[in-house]
This record gives sequence, C-alpha cells and structure tokens, in this order.
Amino acid sequence: MLQTKWKWIKRDWVLYVMLIPALIYFITFHIVPLIGMKLAFQDYRILGDHQWVGLKHFEVLFSSPAFFTVLKNTIIISAMKMIFFFPVPILLSILINEVRHGKFRNSVQSIIYLPHFLLWVVIAGIWISLLNPEDGGVNLIRNFFQLPSLDYMTSKDHIRWVLVFSEIWRSAGWDSIIYLAAIMKISPALYEAARIDGASNLQQLRYITIPELSGTIITVFILNLGFFMNAGFDQVFNLMNNSVISVIDILDTYVYRIGLVNGQYSYATAASLFKGVIGTVLILGTHFISKRLTGRGVW
Amino acid sequence: MKKLAGLFAATVMMFTMAACSNDQATTTESKKGTIKLVLKDEDPSNPATQKYFSNLEKALKKDEKLDVKFELVQMPQGNYAEKLNLLLYSGDIPDMIYFQGGDQQIADQDLLEDLTPYIEKSKNLKSIMEPYNEKRMKNYPYLLWIKPLDLKTPVIRSDWFNQLSSSKALMADPTPENYKAFFKELVEKAPGGGKPKNAITAAGDIAELDYIFNMAFGLNQTWLKKSDGTYEYAKVSEKEKAKLEFYSELYKEGLLDQQFATKQWDTKEKAFYDGDSGVLVGTNGKVIDIYNGKMTQVNGKEAELTVLPPAKGEFQGYGATDISKESRGIAISSQSKNKELAFKVLDYLASPKGQMLDRIGFENEHYKITDDQIQLTEKYYSEWYARFWEPADFKPEKTLKTPLLSKPAEESAKLVQQYYSEDNKVILDEESSAKWDAAENLYKEFSADVITGKRPISDFDTFVEEWKNAGGDEITKFVNGKLK
Repeated sequence: MLQTKWKWIKRDWVLYVMLIPALIYFITFHIVPLIGMKLAFQDYRILGDHQWVGLKHFEVLFSSPAFFTVLKNTIIISAMKMIFFFPVPILLSILINEVRHGKFRNSVQSIIYLPHFLLWVVIAGIWISLLNPEDGGVNLIRNFFQLPSLDYMTSKDHIRWVLVFSEIWRSAGWDSIIYLAAIMKISPALYEAARIDGASNLQQLRYITIPELSGTIITVFILNLGFFMNAGFDQVFNLMNNSVISVIDILDTYVYRIGLVNGQYSYATAASLFKGVIGTVLILGTHFISKRLTGRGVW
Repeated sequence: MKKLAGLFAATVMMFTMAACSNDQATTTESKKGTIKLVLKDEDPSNPATQKYFSNLEKALKKDEKLDVKFELVQMPQGNYAEKLNLLLYSGDIPDMIYFQGGDQQIADQDLLEDLTPYIEKSKNLKSIMEPYNEKRMKNYPYLLWIKPLDLKTPVIRSDWFNQLSSSKALMADPTPENYKAFFKELVEKAPGGGKPKNAITAAGDIAELDYIFNMAFGLNQTWLKKSDGTYEYAKVSEKEKAKLEFYSELYKEGLLDQQFATKQWDTKEKAFYDGDSGVLVGTNGKVIDIYNGKMTQVNGKEAELTVLPPAKGEFQGYGATDISKESRGIAISSQSKNKELAFKVLDYLASPKGQMLDRIGFENEHYKITDDQIQLTEKYYSEWYARFWEPADFKPEKTLKTPLLSKPAEESAKLVQQYYSEDNKVILDEESSAKWDAAENLYKEFSADVITGKRPISDFDTFVEEWKNAGGDEITKFVNGKLK
C-alpha cells in the first residue's frame, strides 16, 4: 500500500513540488496564527508575562446585549447572501455558456468580472450615488413609473438588500468562473447524444449540465459555509451609516471597533475565536450531512 | 628642585587633562544617540520627511550640540491608530510615538513616560503650553500636543453672505431661530443662481452641527449637573431632546443636507465648493485656511469665507474643550534608553530656532528671506504643516512679511479662543468600552432617525431607557463617582 503511494508521488512529483508554496502559505498564515488564539484566554501585556484569565473575555462577550445584536445581524446577512447570492454565479455561468457569439461572450464576461477588481470604498461611492433619493439612477427610474423616491441607504428595511445586491454586482461574475470551468469540462459527446435523441436546450440543461455541475456546486457550497460568519467587513464598513447601525453592524465591524480601535485584543480574539468555531462546526456538519445524503463532500 | 617642580606641574596637568577629557567624553556620550520614532503621515521614503529630519539633525548639532540620529518607523497604509497598536503590541516600541487614539491601553501597561518632570525642567516647552495643555497634562501626563484648539467653526462664502438680509441679524444675535431664518433665506434666495440646494451639510452625523448649536441648547459639557447635584450624560438630557427637535425641523424644511447621513468628508467638501451646500463646518485655523484657499481658487476672490458665530442661547461657544487628556500627541516610551535626549529634541522644537524649522519649513522652498523679512511661498500654503508644535504665539527670529494663515482662518482661531470653556469629560476604564460603544451606537441611530423623520421625538424617553439598559446606567454611576 505504502509502496503504491510512493509510486504515485514519484510519478507526480512535479505536482507535489507545485504544492509546496501553497503549503508554506497555509502553514505561515493559517496554521501558525492559531497559536495566537491563546490570547482569548489571557490578559495581554506587551512586556512581561501575560495573565491567564480563563473564560473572562467570553463571559464579557456573552453578557453584552450588543454582541447578540451583531451576532443576529451577522447570521441574517450571511444567510441572505447565501440564499440570494449563491445561485446567481451558477445561473450566470449557464447563461454565459449559452451565448454562442464569441466576441459578445468575451465582452459579457469581461464586463461582469470588472467590479470584482474595485475596492469596496469605490463600490460604496458608486452605490450611494446610484441610490441617492434626489438624483440617483434607481430613484429616477422609480420616479419615471410615478413611484416615490426611497432612501435605501438609511432605510432599515432596505439596507440589507443593498448589501446583498451590491455583493451580487461585485462578485457574481467572478464567482461564475469556477462553474464555467466545470461546464467546459463536461464531455461534448453527452450534449451531442442528447441532441441526436431530440433533447431541447432546457432538457440538456436539466439532464446534463446541472447534474454534472452538482459536484462543484456542493463543494463550493460547503466551502462557502466555512466563511458563513464572514458577512463582509469591508462592504459593511463602507456602506454603514448611523441610521442603520442596529441592522448591519456585524461581528467583524464590532471586533474592529472594540478590539483594534480600542486596543482590546484579548476581547477581540475571543469574539473571533467564537466566529471561527461556528464556521468550523458549519463546515464539518454540512460535509457529513452531504456525505450521508449525496455521497459527496469536500473530501 | 626645578626638575621636581616641573615633574609635579606636568603630573597635575596630565591628571587635569585626563579629567577634562573624561568629563568631555561623558558629556558627549550623554548627548549622543538614536531616536526611533513613529509619526502619522511621515513616510521615511518621502523626500520632504527625509529633508526635515536631516535638517533637524543638523540644527540640533549646531544649536544644542546634540548628536541625534533619527530612525523613522515605516507605517503601513490604513488607519493609523490601528496600525500603531499592532506595531506596539508586537513589542516593537519606538522611543518617541505619535498617538491618535489607542494610547490609554499602552499607558495602562506603564509603557509611556510621565512627562511632568521633563516639562518642569524644560527650557522652552513649559512657556508655550496653553492652559488647557497644562490641565490635560495634569490629568494624563503621557501625551503632549501643543496645537491650537481643534474646535470647528461654520463658514460661508462672503459674496453669498453679503447678499442676504438676515446676515446682519445673525451676526448681531446668533440665536438658533436667527440661524434658521438665515438658512431659510440662503436656500430661498439661492444667491448662486439656483444654488445652494441646502443651507448646511455635514459628514455622516450631527457632530459638526453640534459645534454651532450645542451650547445654545445648554449642552455646555459632556456631563450636565442636575439640580440634585448628580450628573447626567448630555446626550440623554431634555436639552438634547430640544436640540434634536430643532435639527429635525432643519432637515424637514430642506435646510440641512438631505444626504448628510451618507456623506463622507470628501463629498461634503465637494458639495461646498460646488455650491450645493452653503455652510460648511471645519476645524479652525489651518483647515479653514485650506477651505478658503480652495474656495477662492474655484470661485474667485469674492468667495473668500466668512466665519459664522456660534449660536447663542443658554450658553454660547463652539463647544467645550476636553481637558481630561490630550486626544492625540507625542509620547516617550518608558522603555527608551534615550528618554532625556528624546525630550531635549521636543524641547528644541519649541524654541524659536526649532520653530523656524518646524513651523515654516525649508528656506527658499517654503519661505524666502527678503528685506530681512520672512516671505512665505505658495508651497508653504499648499503643503507645509508643522510636524510638532504650533503655539499660538509664534515668534520667529525675523519678522513675518506674509501671514501664517488667511484672514478667515485667523478669525476662526480667534473666535474659538474667545469662546473657550472647559469640558468635564471623564476617562472611562477599559471594561466600559464595550458598553460605551453599545450606548453610543444607540444614540447615533436614534438621533439620525429623529432628524430624518423615521422616529418621532416623542420616542426620546424610550431611547433614554434603552441607553441606560445598554450600559449607560453603569457608566453614569462610574462618572458620578469620579466627578464628585
């Protein structure tokens, strides 16, 4: 058994060499920093010994009503993004795949990838202008249809939807790449056979494309769940205003304010650790459920 | 005998010379050293920064016989306080540190030097400190920052201001009512040919409006003394309620920028220069100078700014000055091996010679000497700023031919000084910061909602209850213990 594995390694040594930089990256930036998590159980001092304080910082965290508000916001915003954002790149990749005209297809792809390269501070500026109740594009359209202007940015009912749609605008195009690659991998013979059998485009989509994509969809879904508690620091930070703090203040912005700005690193580490644990539980839980139900998981 | 006397004299001379050279060596040693420092916006690769510190090294050697080598820490881009804290928490503590928040946690760990004894012994610094600097140092002796008061003043284009009939009444009696009448006329008359669209703008919240109106509504301190002798937080007082009601009227009538909640500082300033908003609130002195420069550059000389007075009511002023501590400033690390030397540098920068370098920049670049007078150049006005001290009383070695600030900027600084009053803000302990954050967020949201008409002012009592439950009650108790 061991000999067979060694043979594989010997055969594919180039691939293993290529893996080394990635391993170094993960060890340096993702494994080693785990040691720093001990800070959540200490009162950190720059010089001298750090005092172990047990669960003190977690107790403070869980006794704060503000923490539960930000936790609730994080879960709601993440769930909304998961439900409404997740299918969009899949849909987009299928639509792009249906475009037959090469140049048009390339243009569409370039245009939808473009927002991914903009910083959230720029995107926030664009969206604030676009949603401006006085002369923003969205409200001009509303006014054209005799509808009153809405101040989306300061409305507690709308701001979370602004987060979802701005996320879709920015990332759906880029995220569709992975699905497009998966579609490209599907054997053309399957489509040819289906067409000979008289399958319509919709039937080809239903019986070939989607089943072939399901493995990728499940993997991406499970991996995304691992980042479920990352509701989007940069996005929220740039789109937040005083009118909507209570509905879009998330764990990351809370940790930033209390931990980094106020210098309470132990408290911030406790909040981050809590967030990380939830992410791990979600990823493991979904993986095992998926394995049970579909036989597919992340590994 | 002669030989013996000669030998004796030579021995004495040798010992004397040895003693002298020893003494000299010790003196040179004590005045020599490297100062590692971290300052905001001072990138070691920036040629202007390099030249500044190189000039400072030369000047210290020449004027003070101090052989100092400066080693500037490179800071990554982003929020300074956050990046600085990360640097310090990594254990890398420079000798001299500029803080813009986050200092208290470092001082609590005994990592900052108490500057009181140094100031007591100083040659120059002691004499340029303002009364509020002295009080701040007494309450929190770790940060030193000699700059003009940072209160903000409202400004408007003079050509527009002069066209309004309500301007005179406003200047003579700047009550909130007269302010409102002035704002109303400004929008209705629109002296800019359909502009301004609104009378006053602000960036993100009402803090800038508070500089005009807080005092008039009786909000003269952070903690207001009640009739029973206890203190209540100004933002949950009845006076705050009246002020918010006033702001909501301004908003409802279209006088306050309808987009103030989502405005950033850059879009706010653009609205001002473009004439979409008539009045802007900016930090007195240098910032007003910049606003004035840009406004006249864009709209001509006649658009020079006029500084508006603070609203008059129960009190008058642009706000109370926090004397609990410096909110920013220079600290010396208690771990530094060159504490004395670092302070000598700070003290030198407060001297007339040091001020020449720090305040007006490089000769033939930021100023020229003509007719034995200092003539400031365009480059001075557009890019120079003092890295360290900016005392109100600047006495250069030669007479200034051109003023340091424009007229409106000088006027703003003068008015701020005229209405100076002290705040009773209390430094909160570390444990309170999470509660304070929650309580303050409640206020921010409630005030924004009331002003924009999303919540009625009658909800004020409900808000106060929520504020108390969010930690406001405990903090009030803590503060009452401190203010007794």
